[in-house]
Amino acid sequence: MVIRIAAVGDVHLDEDVVGRFRPALEELPECADVLLLAGDLTRHGTEAEARCVAEEFGGLAVPVVTVLGNHDHQCDQVPQVVKVLEDAGITVLEGNGVVLDCAGGRLGIAGAKGFGGGFAGRCASDFGEPEMKAFVRTTTDSADRLGAALRSLDCDMLVALTHYSPVPDTLVGEPLEIYPFLGSYQLGQAIDSAPTALAVHGHAHAGTERGTTPGGVRVRNVAHPVIKQAYSVFHVGDQLDTDQVSTLGQSGIQRSWS
Amino acid sequence: MTHHRDIDAGPPDEYVEAEIQRLLVEDPAVAEQGITVVRRERALVLHGEVESPHRREEILRRVSERFPDVPITSDIGVIRTQAPTEIEQLP
Repeated sequence: MVIRIAAVGDVHLDEDVVGRFRPALEELPECADVLLLAGDLTRHGTEAEARCVAEEFGGLAVPVVTVLGNHDHQCDQVPQVVKVLEDAGITVLEGNGVVLDCAGGRLGIAGAKGFGGGFAGRCASDFGEPEMKAFVRTTTDSADRLGAALRSLDCDMLVALTHYSPVPDTLVGEPLEIYPFLGSYQLGQAIDSAPTALAVHGHAHAGTERGTTPGGVRVRNVAHPVIKQAYSVFHVGDQLDTDQVSTLGQSGIQRSWS
Repeated sequence: MTHHRDIDAGPPDEYVEAEIQRLLVEDPAVAEQGITVVRRERALVLHGEVESPHRREEILRRVSERFPDVPITSDIGVIRTQAPTEIEQLP
């Protein structure tokens, strides 16, 4: 069983970017069963910018599933942004999940934006001023909802989608001092609480592509400035056979590697 | 953002570096969290990547407008959007 997952985050759409991704997106049906967007779809989270996202990522021949990022919250228009995306057929997750029937099996995707807080031994604590407690509780609540969503899905393969990072591995390249603003270990703990096959996130523009959770789940940072292409494609499951590889070669995917 | 600092001629200091870093994020015309400001002896260098040439120009325009006396060097790229040429297998 192989499920083909395309993913990108941090595309920060506005009028000046519309059309840049579309030629590559038109190739998606040949190489992926689903496209995941790891948040920060817009610059400021306005309804007008969401319409740009809908124009660029709507109407594709594969399902599109997204979480929002911190930029998508900037103008406090989250309900309007979500409505525009959903009207364009994009599934927006926040503490919930969706199961898609793919050729290789049922793909379960649980998603949440997540939040900061830092990583084991160097993290913020639920203690002190109300502002600090609210910060940490936001992270904990988000991670709890992500974990519950992951454990609730009835599927053959499970993927976690967040904006903030669940591990420090994929932040390498960012200043250490800002790690607590880039992710939190609680998200990793939530991912490890279920039989997750892959965790995808964005947010860390100067980070690194690959990491793993303490439980061994593969983590991929798909922030656009990190992957430097329209999207990355992951084939999750059994090894491909050579026929599949050659078919992919004809559609623009030239080489597989592992 | 604070507005109390008088701009003097001379090498950029830590406060200018901090103010530019915040301007890059908080100025609605920029809103970039992925640009790094590096303080060198003679200038501030802006590193990073953005989604369009227009955004790169806007960053330089806004920073120069706000800090006309600070020498700025820009090394900001526009991120490519081509389809991938490789896949990653995750058995």
